[in-house]
Amino acid sequence: MKDSSANDSKKPIKEHGTTSSYVAGFVLSLIFTIIPYYLVINHKFSTSALISTIISFGIAQMIVQVVFFLHLGRGPKPFYNIVFFFATVGLIVVVIGGSVFIMNNLHYNMTPSEASKHLAEKEAIYQVEGTLTGACQKILANHVVTISGGKVTPHHTDARLCDTLTFINQDSRVSIITFGPHPRHETYSGESELTVKKGKNKTITLNQSGMYQYHDHLDPTIAGDFIVTK
Amino acid sequence: MVNEQTPTHHQAEADDRALFGFWIYLMTDLLMFSVLFAVYAVLHDNTDGGKTGKELFDLNLALTGTIILLVSSFTCGVGMIAARAGRKNQVLTWFGLTFILGLSFLALEFNEFSILIREGHTIQSNAFLSSFFALVGTHGLHIIAGLLWIAVTLGYIVKRGLNSNMVRKLAMLSLFWHFLDIVWIFIFTIVYLRAFV
Repeated sequence: MKDSSANDSKKPIKEHGTTSSYVAGFVLSLIFTIIPYYLVINHKFSTSALISTIISFGIAQMIVQVVFFLHLGRGPKPFYNIVFFFATVGLIVVVIGGSVFIMNNLHYNMTPSEASKHLAEKEAIYQVEGTLTGACQKILANHVVTISGGKVTPHHTDARLCDTLTFINQDSRVSIITFGPHPRHETYSGESELTVKKGKNKTITLNQSGMYQYHDHLDPTIAGDFIVTK
Repeated sequence: MVNEQTPTHHQAEADDRALFGFWIYLMTDLLMFSVLFAVYAVLHDNTDGGKTGKELFDLNLALTGTIILLVSSFTCGVGMIAARAGRKNQVLTWFGLTFILGLSFLALEFNEFSILIREGHTIQSNAFLSSFFALVGTHGLHIIAGLLWIAVTLGYIVKRGLNSNMVRKLAMLSLFWHFLDIVWIFIFTIVYLRAFV
């Protein structure tokens, strides 16, 4: 019996790639890995530019590998392979692009306090109880109120619009700051209450002008006020 | 005896059909990865107050893994050229090298995961880590499958020699291995590099 393992060398070598095409693909891939790594390590561009640059390099590298390693489009029946490949790429764009787009949009359709927080953090638009209070483009100054020994210092704070107010809790228990004179509970800056754990602090942006009082929900004797002027 | 000598172009046609079928599998696998990528893209900020990717990942280690995988993709390709030329010993050398490189990549990833878990950053910690472990872990499982496949195929070649049937199997294996390399490029870009932007 003759050994039938003789391999068919009739196939043209071109469709499977040669050593030089693998070397070219390998070197290009290596370059496309090192460049984005270098850019990220040295923070060459702004954040959004950097993200689109590294993703572009990723896609470029994918194309290099698909052409030089997978030899897409060089086989004897390239048509169906290519059709399948591009159909898959199309689906991937829909799945990933769609998910990111929808989930980002969802941030704007959350509960009012979460939505206003998101708007304030991402777009500098401040909204309280559905009323726009104007956007704070940048924070001007910070005021500190310390809670310790059952009282707040200072009792009274004078601030300007777009300042921030930080509550620092140095008491031995948690403090729940609510707005308005006791026993009324109002909202300020979209927040109905601020839970400040012991040893921690919380900061609010003063985006509503006027005079406001606040007190500790657990101990109404811990109380203070602040005036926000334009 | 007539049946033994299958006409070459019939064999080639069967090979093409098998490779096309395998190509379809790879594309569906790619779709699965794309869903995991979408989940990661949506959840990567949801750390629930825990550490972010920037604080958890070691970019140099990730780069090392990327280069190891790239080199293994190259050795796999060169092995495939040797297979088509019918050079058995070269096939064993190049695919053996691919196996060793794949194993070192896996060791790096295992090391990364075990350090994270030891420090309390598990798949249950937060949404970010759940999506991270799901994405990178699925790729790791594919690498394990690929390594087993290489080992079994090389075992067959040692035992039964390099015939055209084996060359077809090696062609699928190399497609699979290049595919894993491409998926990893995106993991490196979107998971690791992105965290340090």
